[in-house]
Amino acid sequence: MPVHSAGPRLYRSVKFKHLVREAGSAAGSRPTDISLNLTPFVDMMTILVTFLLMVFSSTGQLLEAQKGLELPIADSRETLQQAPVIIVTKSDITYQGQLIATVESVMRDDSPTFKIDALFERLDAAAKKIKEDVANGKGPKDLTTACEKAKANIRPGRGEVICPDGLAILQADESTDARLINKIVNTAKAAGFDNLLFAVKNK
Amino acid sequence: MSGSIGPSDKKSVNVELNIVPFIDLMSCLTAFLLVTAVWVNIAQINIQPKGKTRDQAQVQQDDEHVTLSVLVQSDRIWVGLSRVNEFQDIPKKAGAENEQDWEKFEATLKEHKTSAFFTNPERNDLEIAAESTAAAPVKYQDIIHAMDIAVKVGFTDVGLSDPQGLAARPSL
Repeated sequence: MPVHSAGPRLYRSVKFKHLVREAGSAAGSRPTDISLNLTPFVDMMTILVTFLLMVFSSTGQLLEAQKGLELPIADSRETLQQAPVIIVTKSDITYQGQLIATVESVMRDDSPTFKIDALFERLDAAAKKIKEDVANGKGPKDLTTACEKAKANIRPGRGEVICPDGLAILQADESTDARLINKIVNTAKAAGFDNLLFAVKNK
Repeated sequence: MSGSIGPSDKKSVNVELNIVPFIDLMSCLTAFLLVTAVWVNIAQINIQPKGKTRDQAQVQQDDEHVTLSVLVQSDRIWVGLSRVNEFQDIPKKAGAENEQDWEKFEATLKEHKTSAFFTNPERNDLEIAAESTAAAPVKYQDIIHAMDIAVKVGFTDVGLSDPQGLAARPSL
């Protein structure tokens, strides 16, 4: 293969006859500027950015996508807030990403306490820590205000922040048996989580 | 965005706008938004579990209080008032649909909401329980649907209870 000295040779070796009227005339009098119409591109970008900005939401990032987990559908439009998450998939029960028990083992257990012991231990420790943090006034101001309202037995209105003391999110698969839900709710209640948020998917 | 009046020809009124930074910004923003976009809208239903808590020695029962109770079973829904002990039975829809009669359930709750027991605007509490067995399981979706309808009707203070813990429970 012959060795060429470095330099421009676009119109010499690759003949863009459809772009330039005369091949090799780059150095000649005729202009070789190619005008690319960017207007549709800019239009498309603008529309895309506008659409993405409109649908942008950080709420869903509170929850993790899990295999074997299809959230139930509801009309509710209240947004989720940060809280410990109990996840129930078709096969497992996890708390804050750590496996607690399998659904099968919990369903087989007929103990009269209607509690899941492993989950209770974790929730109990978490509830105590959250209670301590709330008592020490840790966290943003709106949460402190919400906790003061909760102490005065004032229920938060729609869209208002809920006090994190005793607040947990249950993210369960739509086909989960109600007996399992009852057990988890009982366990959470016994551990001090008396305010549960059921994660749902909007219609 | 920078602009310049083009080139040496004094008669020319063409304005050249440098849109390269604009395109750069748009590309970066599009890429960022596409990566961080959440396509599934997640919402919540807030409930208060009924029963004994860690800090509570006994379940508080107010005998003067009339409570609206809903019991979801695999083939029907019961709606009843405590102390009055009147129950309405809403059987599953007949036919191929094989699902609960949610329209009738909603109408029943609306009736109760407008009844004398719930005229006080602060009375918006309701308790729901699901009775599920291995032979006749009740799905979580049904509980959520019942709660969702209750909230929609105006019972915003929804409590989830055990079937045995309901204030009004039909004797079958």
